[in-house]
Amino acid sequence: MEVIINKQDGKTLVALKGRIDTTNADQFQQELTPLMEGENPDIDIDCAEMTYTSSQGLRTFLLLQKSVSTKGGKMVLRNMNPMVKEVFDITGFSNIITIL
Amino acid sequence: MKKRFNPIKDKSSEIISCLMASPDMPDDEALRFKLQLSIEEVVENVVRYAYDGGIGWLEVSTNLDHDTLVLTVELRDAGVPFNPLEQPEPDITLNAENRDVGGLGILICKKMMDSLNYRYENGNNVLTMTKMIWK
Repeated sequence: MEVIINKQDGKTLVALKGRIDTTNADQFQQELTPLMEGENPDIDIDCAEMTYTSSQGLRTFLLLQKSVSTKGGKMVLRNMNPMVKEVFDITGFSNIITIL
Repeated sequence: MKKRFNPIKDKSSEIISCLMASPDMPDDEALRFKLQLSIEEVVENVVRYAYDGGIGWLEVSTNLDHDTLVLTVELRDAGVPFNPLEQPEPDITLNAENRDVGGLGILICKKMMDSLNYRYENGNNVLTMTKMIWK
């Protein structure tokens, strides 16, 4: 699992690569924690190379969405593969997180 | 395939890999994805919560019925009696602010597998999941 974070024109661009599972879910949460800081978050997450997420990974996405919503910011997830998208669909996460 | 792990503390990955390497498992990538997600959730539950301090055993087994193509995955442990099916399901209609972060694992299992059953038998928690495997 790899998290690449870049700042560009006031946006936070994130690329996720690999699997988020029981071996690295805590690390994943730690790496995304900086995104929960700061005002007016505008976060764009490219999920094209994210191949798997367990419920622990979903929890981190929910915490991030809660933080962004509380601050009146915005967050989108893009290019999710169909198998990963299904996990977001069956848990209702597709309704609370913007997936493009 | 049947294997007993003891102790199980910090052994989630090894136990999940063992199950996924079973000859009963399908080759299809999408099916394996669903099985691995479900297996990871239930194995993690046992490893983290079944035994206080994580000292205890977990026996895992797989069986494929070649006539019906139904794959059965079973987990058996002697930990605290715990029926995951009795836990309240998260309300998936709530918005992000009101959604709770818990209860997702069992929800994923219920939706990804064809059946999920629990029984308490001879002092053991026995969790059984089935999935039809289309070749």
